[in-house]
Amino acid sequence: MKTMTTISCFKKLLLLASILLLGALAFIYSGIYPMGADSKHFPATYWVLETLREQSIARAAKDIVVPDNINASTRLLAGGADYNDMCASCHLKPEKSSSDFSLGLYPVPPNLAIKHDDHAHSDDENTEDKRRFWIIKHGIKASGMPSWAPGHDDERIWNMVSFIKRLPDLNAQQYQVLTARKKGDTGHH
Amino acid sequence: MKKLMIHSMALLATAFIASTTLAHDPSEHMTKNEEPKCAGMDHSKMDMTDPVAQAMMEQCSMSGDKQKMDMKHSQHKNMHSSEKDKESMRMKMKANHDSHDEHQH
Repeated sequence: MKTMTTISCFKKLLLLASILLLGALAFIYSGIYPMGADSKHFPATYWVLETLREQSIARAAKDIVVPDNINASTRLLAGGADYNDMCASCHLKPEKSSSDFSLGLYPVPPNLAIKHDDHAHSDDENTEDKRRFWIIKHGIKASGMPSWAPGHDDERIWNMVSFIKRLPDLNAQQYQVLTARKKGDTGHH
Repeated sequence: MKKLMIHSMALLATAFIASTTLAHDPSEHMTKNEEPKCAGMDHSKMDMTDPVAQAMMEQCSMSGDKQKMDMKHSQHKNMHSSEKDKESMRMKMKANHDSHDEHQH
């Protein structure tokens, strides 16, 4: 009698799983999901995606070794021009609070020109550097953040990390001086 | 009639493409090469142990060297031109002297 009840319960669970799977497939193929970047996620969906992203990055970046001279002035100078060319249109710069990209992308790209004490990903600066490096190098799926690894070696990416670390401290004049790329310097190897 | 339709479609497509290129501020997507604007920097307020200040000084000293070089170059050119002026003056004086010699009474 007990065995019969267990089989019946298992059948019900299988039926429920099948219904859910078919329902999910029907939802996917129906095309009713709003795919537009101007349609926001539910808070629960956002939490799931954000947690998935942060846990994945933390795991992937944990063995990265941060260079000893990450704070060197030469790295700041080398990374500044690249940041201005490759990142500033989305991640902004001193005295610029929005752009076409920062307004239109979803999820909204973080403004790296201001301090985010209330939303820090890690208290440890070393861990934060590893995280920045991994994100610049590998990018983030379906977020608009590209992988810069093709065409940019690790040294060049560390230079950008060095600049991003100090970016919230810079005023507009300091930013202009540090990011100025002289005539003839295309920034490419 | 068919030709007119094709021309109209092509014109509309061109107008549409042109309008989409104007949708963004072009400066957002331009890679600009520019000199660092170092004028007005107050060096006395800078903490020279800070990598930001060191990087700024390095950047500005590089552009300063270029300005010095430009200045030296222009001074060199001026020196050359002043020597040329002196030479032409000497030639003129000599010519005048010769002509006076010819007209000696």
